Amino acid sequence: MQHEDPRNGESVHRGSKKSKLSSKFITESDIRDEFSHHHPSVARINNGSFGSCPGSVLTAQRHLQMQFLRQPDAFYFNTLRDGITASRKIIKDLINADHVDEVSLVDNATTAAAIVLQRIGRSFAEGKFQKNDTVLMLHCAFQAVKKSIQAYVTRAGGSVIEVRLPFPVNSEEEIISEFKKSIEEGKSNGRKIRLAIIDHITSMPSVVIPVKELVRICREEGIEQVFVDAAHAIGSVKVDVKEVGADFYVSNLHKWFFCPPSVAFLYCKKSASSSDLHHPVVSHEYGNGLPIESAWIGTRDYSSQLVVPAVLEFVNRFEGGIDGIMKRNHDEVVKMGKMLAESWGTNLGSPPEMSPAMIMVGLPSRMCLNSEEDAVTLRSHLRDHYDVEVPIFHQVSKDGEEGVRDKDGFITGYVRISHQVYNTLEDYEKLRDAINQLVEDGKTCKMLYKE
Amino acid sequence: MQHEYPRNGELTHRSFKKPKLSSEFITESDIRDEFSHHQPRVARINNGSFGSCPDSVLTAQRHWQLQFLRQPDAFYFNTLRDGITASREVIKGLINADHVDEVSLVDNATTAAAIVLQRIGRSFAEGKFQKNDTVLMLHCAFQAVKKSIQAYVTRAGGSVIEVRLPFPVNSEEQIISEFKKSIEDGKSNGRKIRLAIIDHITSMPSVVIPVKELVRICREEGIEQVFVDAAHAIGSVKVDVKEVGADFYVSNLHKWFFCPPSVAFLYCKKSTSSSDLHHPVVSHEYGNGLPIESAWIGTRDYSSQLVVPAVLEFVNRFEGGIDGIMKKNHDEVVKMGKMLAESWGTNLGSPPDMSAAMIMVGLPSRLCLNSEEDAVMLRSHLRDRYEVEVPIFHQASEDGEEGVRDKDGFITGYVRISHQVYNTLEDYEKLRDAINQLVEDGKTCKMLYTE
Repeated sequence: MQHEDPRNGESVHRGSKKSKLSSKFITESDIRDEFSHHHPSVARINNGSFGSCPGSVLTAQRHLQMQFLRQPDAFYFNTLRDGITASRKIIKDLINADHVDEVSLVDNATTAAAIVLQRIGRSFAEGKFQKNDTVLMLHCAFQAVKKSIQAYVTRAGGSVIEVRLPFPVNSEEEIISEFKKSIEEGKSNGRKIRLAIIDHITSMPSVVIPVKELVRICREEGIEQVFVDAAHAIGSVKVDVKEVGADFYVSNLHKWFFCPPSVAFLYCKKSASSSDLHHPVVSHEYGNGLPIESAWIGTRDYSSQLVVPAVLEFVNRFEGGIDGIMKRNHDEVVKMGKMLAESWGTNLGSPPEMSPAMIMVGLPSRMCLNSEEDAVTLRSHLRDHYDVEVPIFHQVSKDGEEGVRDKDGFITGYVRISHQVYNTLEDYEKLRDAINQLVEDGKTCKMLYKE
Repeated sequence: MQHEYPRNGELTHRSFKKPKLSSEFITESDIRDEFSHHQPRVARINNGSFGSCPDSVLTAQRHWQLQFLRQPDAFYFNTLRDGITASREVIKGLINADHVDEVSLVDNATTAAAIVLQRIGRSFAEGKFQKNDTVLMLHCAFQAVKKSIQAYVTRAGGSVIEVRLPFPVNSEEQIISEFKKSIEDGKSNGRKIRLAIIDHITSMPSVVIPVKELVRICREEGIEQVFVDAAHAIGSVKVDVKEVGADFYVSNLHKWFFCPPSVAFLYCKKSTSSSDLHHPVVSHEYGNGLPIESAWIGTRDYSSQLVVPAVLEFVNRFEGGIDGIMKKNHDEVVKMGKMLAESWGTNLGSPPDMSAAMIMVGLPSRLCLNSEEDAVMLRSHLRDRYEVEVPIFHQASEDGEEGVRDKDGFITGYVRISHQVYNTLEDYEKLRDAINQLVEDGKTCKMLYTE
């Protein structure tokens, strides 16, 4: 399993402060207050895309913003650098990195991908890599990462292997075996695989990947470097970068770790070449190491990088701290997923142990969701007519493969539901009832285009 | 002259809204309220470094931020893109660009430099440029730009020519003649100059450069492309990108145009190659043109890009709008500069018509400011002991050249004072008195290290 229950009262995550031992934990009413800025009538079941941030952290952020505006020179010279270092130290402990030098704060995983891939591009340009040396990625990699590979790898003469993962998926073994097969095919042309990019939790469709095992396989197969895109990981699964063993590991702090938009950490294992990583926006700090370069890329609002201590205070108001939050999110999202699947007569996209705080639930085949456009239209329809926000995935049927069926036909669409501390049962009931209503009214996706 | 004052009541800036014709202009008391978040006792004479933002614009920004937090998916799908386009349209009107496609919004001039220089680097890598093809820049170019040249040009095999401009300067002709000489030197080795980077207003020491004339010279001399780094320009001098005639022109909106930190516009004249400009942080919008790429570089807070219409409302509360503000800032900073120079027995670094809203004023030679460290030390001392915030420049003496003298010795240090709408006479009197006190007490910069 990707995450462990706090057994024997022990926290699995090394936090700066231990969880409260008293019973003065945050109450349901406190939580409602903290998220009172969320649109009150929307069933917000898409924490994965843009994350969420409690009122107390927003207040801390505003304080920092005003501090800068009040006297920006003093803030720049006396406050900013230390504040970012303090945040980096907290992250270092949370993720079990060896040195704070291995931890940089950047805007988001998209930026981290540009940093890692720009270096790959330089290696081609400078003759370190040969034409047709390869980068390996998952077929369902995030679109920004795919484009970044196009911009920095393909353009520089590199080639790409895509690993197609099965979905729906029933076990980690299915993923491991598919991954091994793809590497064999990739190497069969005599090509050298310079970098493998592996998601820790895929975005669409969303599944937890056995990264530790895949990284081990990469090392066995002689793949030079491994970059784990763990955009969704911190705050939804346990993150231990030494255990995972990758060269680069990035996760967004604004998705599941309650930071305001936006901030991510990029972990870079110390090595002979880690000094040659650079932020693409070059400032006077160029050459001082990625953490220092990233802490100053010109005048901008760095407040989201400075509130990590305030976030830790927030999560430690919950029983079990961040571990408690993760466990409850997981238990609830599985429960809600099963509730929806049962009501709709459909399936779950992955078993519970491969779903942390998000899970894929099959949509009734009678909706006839047959394209990406259908998915977009249905999503908009749910937003505009039912006040439900949930991302929708179109499952392309593979040649020669039987898809999963419900009583009426093949299941070609899935919702990706999420659970975060602010969600209530009503959110999922709204979604359940909306879909049931559409099916009852005989609506297919095509019919929604005109509404 | 680089800037024109509204003659015959006509505006030289094309604004979206005409300023008020009634006498309901903003009052001194309103202005104090708008900037009440500034630290009250600090004489804030460094608007050039980090800019300033009035409260009504901060309120507008907070509104955008909360709208996103309230329902981020709806904001992303329905609101964000149009909001950024509206800001870009306002900028296009202000700077006299032909097409809104020529206007991209980025974080700051540092980011714009990375965009332009990364393309130069690609041209080397892809063999379009040959080893030793050249980039020309001013010796006093902003440090981030110099490092960006190192990262993207020098590393890729290109060479660099630095144009050393005279300082103190007495006329535009001095700059033009020095510039012409450097180009001759540069071309004398048979090298091809691929890009010239010219500041519109240099940072340290700060002087308004005759960019239109220098761009014309670049064209005559067959320099392929010209990038004007006008970080300080918009809101302090007239900006007409067609008149300047450069291929790329960037200016920060948070320095002198009242936007919150941070946002800048990058103007790219339409040409066959302008489609090959990319934001280094690659998202799914890659390939859709720089304006679209820059409008989505992953989840982050885009609110500073959305408040441009609110800023226009703010400046139009002033008599003469932004033009009125620029004229008043200029007149005041020259007046204050002369007041200081007279009190200290020193000089101005440039004539009034080569100064916009900032001017360099010589420090008494008796302070013995002999190094960059001395300048930093004196600046900190003024901040910590006198509550005066002003950047300080060390003028390195050139071999064989006689420097400017006051009655006691050579003038080796300058303050760069600024004037923005929130400044009062007291700010400059505080600075004047602080320096006079130090001189009276017989303090040199070296003595300040031990205090």
